[in-house]
Parts: sequence; C-alpha cells; structure tokens
Amino acid sequence: MTTVINEPAPTSPTPTSPAPAAPTRNWTSRIGLDKYSALYLWALFMIVFSITSDQFLNWTSIRLVLTEKVIVAILALAFLIPLASDTFDLSIGHMMGFSLVIVNVIARDHPGIPQGVAAILALAACAVAGFISGFIVVRLKVNSFIATLGMSQVLAALTLMISGNRQINEAFSDAYRNFGRHKIFDLPMYFYFLILLAIVVWFVLEHTPIGRYLFATGGNREAARLAGVKTDLYSWATLVVSALIAGFAGLVQSWKVGTFGNDVGPGFLFPAIAAVFFGASQLRGRPNVWGTMIAVFTLAFGVKGLQLTFTGGNKPWIEPLFEGLSLLIAVAFASRQGIIKVPRRNRSAKPEPTAPAT
Amino acid sequence: MEPLLTIEHLTKVFPGQVALDDVHLTIMAGTTHALVGQNGSGKSTLIKILAGYHEPTGGPTATMHLGDALTELKLGDGRAADLAGIRFVHQDLGLVDAVSSVENLSLGGGYATRFGRINWKAETSRAAAELAALGFDDFDVRSPVGTLTPSQKTAVALARALRGWQDGATLLVLDEPTASLPGADVQRLFQAIRRLKERGVAILYVSHHLEEVFEIADEVTVLRDGRNVATLPVDDLDHERLIELMVGHVVDRQRSSVDVVPGELLLAVDDMTGGNVVSLHLHVRAGEVVGIAGINGSGREHIVPLVTGQIPSQRGTVTVGTTDIANYAPGEGVRAGMAFVAADRARLGNFAMLSVVANTTICDLSPNVRSGRLVHADEAAEANDWITRLGTKTAGGAVPIATLSGGNQQKVLFARGLRLAPRVIALDEPTRGIDVGAKEEIHGLIDRAATDGAAVIVASTDTEELVRVSRRVLIMRGGAIAAELTGNEITVENIERAQLQQKVATS
Repeated sequence: MTTVINEPAPTSPTPTSPAPAAPTRNWTSRIGLDKYSALYLWALFMIVFSITSDQFLNWTSIRLVLTEKVIVAILALAFLIPLASDTFDLSIGHMMGFSLVIVNVIARDHPGIPQGVAAILALAACAVAGFISGFIVVRLKVNSFIATLGMSQVLAALTLMISGNRQINEAFSDAYRNFGRHKIFDLPMYFYFLILLAIVVWFVLEHTPIGRYLFATGGNREAARLAGVKTDLYSWATLVVSALIAGFAGLVQSWKVGTFGNDVGPGFLFPAIAAVFFGASQLRGRPNVWGTMIAVFTLAFGVKGLQLTFTGGNKPWIEPLFEGLSLLIAVAFASRQGIIKVPRRNRSAKPEPTAPAT
Repeated sequence: MEPLLTIEHLTKVFPGQVALDDVHLTIMAGTTHALVGQNGSGKSTLIKILAGYHEPTGGPTATMHLGDALTELKLGDGRAADLAGIRFVHQDLGLVDAVSSVENLSLGGGYATRFGRINWKAETSRAAAELAALGFDDFDVRSPVGTLTPSQKTAVALARALRGWQDGATLLVLDEPTASLPGADVQRLFQAIRRLKERGVAILYVSHHLEEVFEIADEVTVLRDGRNVATLPVDDLDHERLIELMVGHVVDRQRSSVDVVPGELLLAVDDMTGGNVVSLHLHVRAGEVVGIAGINGSGREHIVPLVTGQIPSQRGTVTVGTTDIANYAPGEGVRAGMAFVAADRARLGNFAMLSVVANTTICDLSPNVRSGRLVHADEAAEANDWITRLGTKTAGGAVPIATLSGGNQQKVLFARGLRLAPRVIALDEPTRGIDVGAKEEIHGLIDRAATDGAAVIVASTDTEELVRVSRRVLIMRGGAIAAELTGNEITVENIERAQLQQKVATS
C-alpha cells in the first residue's frame, strides 16, 4: 500500500527502463492544478458562495467552520504521522471516543481527582493502546491496516464497558472546560492548540531527521532498514504518537461539548482520512501537514457554502457527498499524470534493452 | 532421428551491440539439447526470442515439426511459439506460492467443470497423475506450493508447462532450472527430466553447471559472443574441452594498475553460513579490492547480502575494524563504517520518490543537523557536492531519484556510501544494467576508494569487471571458496574456467 499519490511509478530495476524524461508539463500542471487544486477550489468557493449566500462571508460563519473542524483536523494529523512511514492507524476514531469516556468517567466518579489529571490519565490510556497496536504490528507482524482495525473494535468495546452504554453529561467543572475553550480573538483555545500541534508535526516531519526516517521507511521499508534506519522502532512509535493525538482529540471534544456519547469518534474517521489523502495530493505529492490542513478547511468551507446556498430544509447528506466527491476529484487530478503515463510509456517503448542480460 | 525445431540465420542487434550473429540451432525430436555459454554469449537472448519477448532482427522464421507436418514458426511471437508447443520453465518458475499445486496447474489453462462448477475432485486427481508421471507422488497436491521443497516446486512448474501437450510434439525449454536447487533436489529434477525424455519430450536445457550438461544432455550447442561455436554430441566432449569451447581465448582488457600495499585488516568474515554460502572465511585489508566470482547458486550471490545484514545468517561473524556486527543488523554495519551497494537497486537501494538529496544523505544525517533541526540547505550543498564529484546527471538535487537513469541512480547510491568515508565497502553487481560510460566511472570510484584506504569486496557476474577492479579474485563453487587468483593470474579466461570447474577438480 503506497502513501504517495501523484508521483510517477518507480522505475523498474531492469536496464529496459528508459531514463524517464522530465514530466511533460501540460496545462493542468502549468497552472498548478495538480498541486494546488484545493487552493483553487477554496478561492472558487469564496467567490461563488459569497455571491449565492450573503451569510457566507461573515465572521460568524467563518468562525463556525474554523472551530467545527478542529477535531477532524487533529485526527487527520494523528492519521498522517503513521502514514508517513506507510503504517495505517484506523483506530483513531475509536481512540478518540476511548479518551473521551475515560476523562468523563473520572470527572464524574472521582471528584477528588483534578480534572486536568483525568485528562492526562486518558492520554496515558491511549498511549498504552497505541503501544499495544505497535506491538501487534511490529512484533506479531500483523498488517497495520488489520491490526488497528481490530484494535478499534477492542476500544469500542472498552468504551461501552466503561460508559455502561450511557450518555455522560455535566461531568466537568467550568475551570476544566474553560481551559480548552476560552476565547482569544474570538476563537477558542483548542483552535490554537490545533495550530500549535500542526506546527510541531510539520516541523518534525519536514525539518528533523525523524521525519526523514519516517518518509524513508514509508518509501521503501527494506532499503531504509538496510540504510540503518530503525524502521520497526519508528512504526511502533508512530502508533503511540497517533494514539496520543487521537486521545487529545477526545479532550478537545470534552472542552468543546463537555458530554460523552457512544457515537462520538468513529464518525470522524472518514473525514480525517479523506483530508490526509486529499492533502497528500496538495503541495508536495506525499502526505504533508499543510496540505492536510488546507484540505480539511477547503472541504469545510465548501460544505458550509452549499448548506447556506441550498437552505430549503436540512440537508445532512450534503457533507459526506461533497467530501467524498472532492476527495475523488482532487486525487484524480493529482494522479492523472502518474497513472496515465505508465501505460503510455510501456506501449511506446517495447522492452528493448540496450545490453541484454545473459 | 527427426529434427523437431530448426532455427537458421538468427540475428539480433541491440543498439550498440550484436547479441546474436547468424546463429543456428537444431533440436532433434525426443532429445535433450543443452545450450551453454558465458554471460553475454547470447543464450538468454535466444531463449527470449523463442519465448517472444524479443523480435529477431530481419525476421527469420524457424521450422517446427508438429507430428508429421512441417510448420513455419514466426520467431519473436510468443503466441505462435505457444501454439507450436514450445513451453518454458523459467528460473523463477512463476508459481503462486499461496495456492495449491492443483490450482497452480490450472491457472491459465482452465478447469474441469461440472454443471458450471469447478470439479475439484477431477482437477485434483489429474494434477496428482501428472506429477506422479514425473516421479513426484510424495506430496499432497492440495497443499500450498509455498510449503513444497524446491524440487517439488520445479516439478509443478514442469507439469504446468506440459499440460495439454502431446509428448512427442513438445519442446520444453528449461532455463537454469537448478540455479536455486540444493544438490539432492537436482537429482530428483533429473529423474523427472529422464521420465519426460522417455515419453518423447524434447528439452532445451540452459545451464551454467557443466556437470549437469554431461549428466542429462544428448547434444550441446555452445555460444560465444553471439555466435555458434559448436554443436556436438555430449559423448564427444569432456569437461575441459567444453570449457575451452565456452571461454575461447579471451584477450584481456587492461587491468587496473593501482597497486596499494594492503594495510590493516578492516573486514573479517569468519565461518559465515547462510543462503548458499557455507562456512566462508574472508579477510580484507585496507586498500584491497577483492573480487568474488561464481556462477548463480555458487554462493557468490549471497556473500554481500550476508556480510551487510540484508539476509540473516545461520552462523558466523562479521567484524568491521574492531567492531563485531550482529547478525541481520545492517544498521550496525553502517554505523561501524561499512557502506554497501546492493544488487537489487530498486528494491534494496532506492527511495524512488524521495529526492536525490534525501537518497544521498539517508545513512547519516548528523552532519546536517544543527540543534535538532535538519538544515536542508546544508544537506543540499553536500549532495550537490557529490553530484559534481561523481558527475551524476540529474535535473537537480530536489528531483526524485526515480527520474534518473540507472547509471546515475547507482552513482547516487555510491555517493550515499562514500560520504560515510567508509572503511569497508561491499558491492554486489555494482554496474549491472548500467551503460558503458557510467560503468567505467564507477570502476574509477572503486579504485579511488581503495587507494584512500577502504577494504572493498565486489561480487559480480561480470568477469571483465572483476579483472578490471580486483587485486585478488575468489572463485565460489558450491557455497565455498574454491580458488583464489592473484596478480597476473587474474584474467577473464582463468576466472571463467575456474568457476566452471567441477568440484572434484578443485586444486
């Protein structure tokens, strides 16, 4: 499973592969439609929806979009980090619910424990779960896709056990919730936490050796191992980190909404994954932080604009439909070059080595 | 005896190279015909033309006798060859490990059905019968092919190739079938081949192992430099004479005149066993370039992988300088100062979509890290320096390595190793699939690394390359070092003779 979307297919090891020419620049790449499609889309939304709806370009709408999507954006970062090393973490949705139920139950049942400590305990529990996922992937050599899918169901079960399948309301003190949601410049603290987190993840992935080792592992695991990269350690660590970040998304939910429901968490999985893959088609041609953030908020503004434009009643289906189609279209644009070129190259250049191997 | 297949005036010209020059080949019905020749002799090209992978230059046709009818066979047409009854078992066998022998036999050929459903019972007994006819009735045809022994797998491939063909009308091409078979398995394969022969199947047998040729073949055709040298009955030949025909009298190219006095011991490999290698002892000193020769299956192909930790060993030690390297721990080797270039560049070397810069610096980022931050400018400067030094042709440091030609990718991988200022350099097929110019430059890099005091091992099937770069050459046979050549003994002829010698003739 490759994490790269719009790169040309790796050349074959045989001498038959001609030196690939520099990518021919067609009109889509000349105007950057392959790498910046989300930004174009964003601009388009801004123009179109500000015409179709007079409520679109006002601060209330913008603030709503920015704050609503914080959790999806955080989960997208949780998904992005293991993905850089070609490890999938599908447990992030349930991980978020797991963290949320723990912090809620401790706050409700143990008034003696400071709620900040409850939050840290929730994160610690997530880290343990992530550590176990890592063990399953690295030591038991289970495909990460399957391992984390299984883990997500275990977490779902634990969440139900802990909550007793009941809603939890009003468990938190005002002080606890204000820590995460008091406003600076009319935006809640958790929005700034997201920005901070994104900057940290971006810095680590793009500007430290760790990030390089992760992408090398994701690009060619065996070559990375042979180059001395501790590939197993990195895969393992990314699952712990993604669990921590997903757990943090649960804390954001506890500040933002303050209640627990069994259905909170899994629903964010698709939008988060979609944002990462959409984002991977942006800017760099591989999973990256700012591409992901752009993807999250472009889609959010698109959905918002559509909802405001077609106000004839509640249309909940707009959001998934729009997110799904946007993902498909953006990735198709980005893959166009890579996918179409491969068969074309093969047809024109029949295998005809310059020096036949014997 | 009737000829089954007759090929005449077969020529194949690749850009810059004549691979086959007016070659002819006649295979008699019901016989086993060996095709031998050194690397580059043209035998692979010939097989590939038969299989339809290459088209011959000028488009000659062959004649194929099908039963009593004589048919024209268009060469370079895989479908025509298949219809004429030419079947292939390639070295990698092409089996699907995860499914059973029964299913492997049916892949592509279709299934026996009953009311539209696959009749597994009929399929199973058919497969069992086909394998029993080859002398393989000792395993369950329903178990996954991945669990079978190498000779059992080969038998499945044989049975699949033969399925649906009348024995007398078939030519079975076996391309190095024993390259990955342990000794005892080879005998079982030969028994299967003898049974096929009794049934009247003609076989074209391609192998580097001359003892096998004497054991199994009726006739042998020798190719050298793309030309016929001889076609003779095996009974008229002996081992020495056959080697003579294959090797000819080679005019050696200029050897590297770099002669460094070997310095301290930098690489010590002791009692190394794993893959095809048995109890290898290999000591290399500073300034030495040690070439490793050997046919496929001799162990040559596993020495660099074992020493560098690409594959696990069963026992044995590797010491770089004074540091012992644990088994299967490539990172330890890299950190102890052992650089390597693996034979399979795409699978074990390249990060195809990472930049040339990232591909250059991956083994050690510490020179480019300042207070925890990877300084991209430093990194790019260092990589650009290597691009200039090695004359790597690239559109820049930022482009993905996959956009470079094979030779230039290889230079990037050399830069990756050389920038570590390694004490030991292990190279596996360092110039495979690389054009002549880049090859010469890489040989120059090997010279220079040795002059600078590295201990270098070079495993290669390119004999001229070994002559060009080596100070001594070790000849591998049957997993062990069978001979060592030094100084003026290092000639293409001597190396090729030595790697083809029978085990008993080891001096």
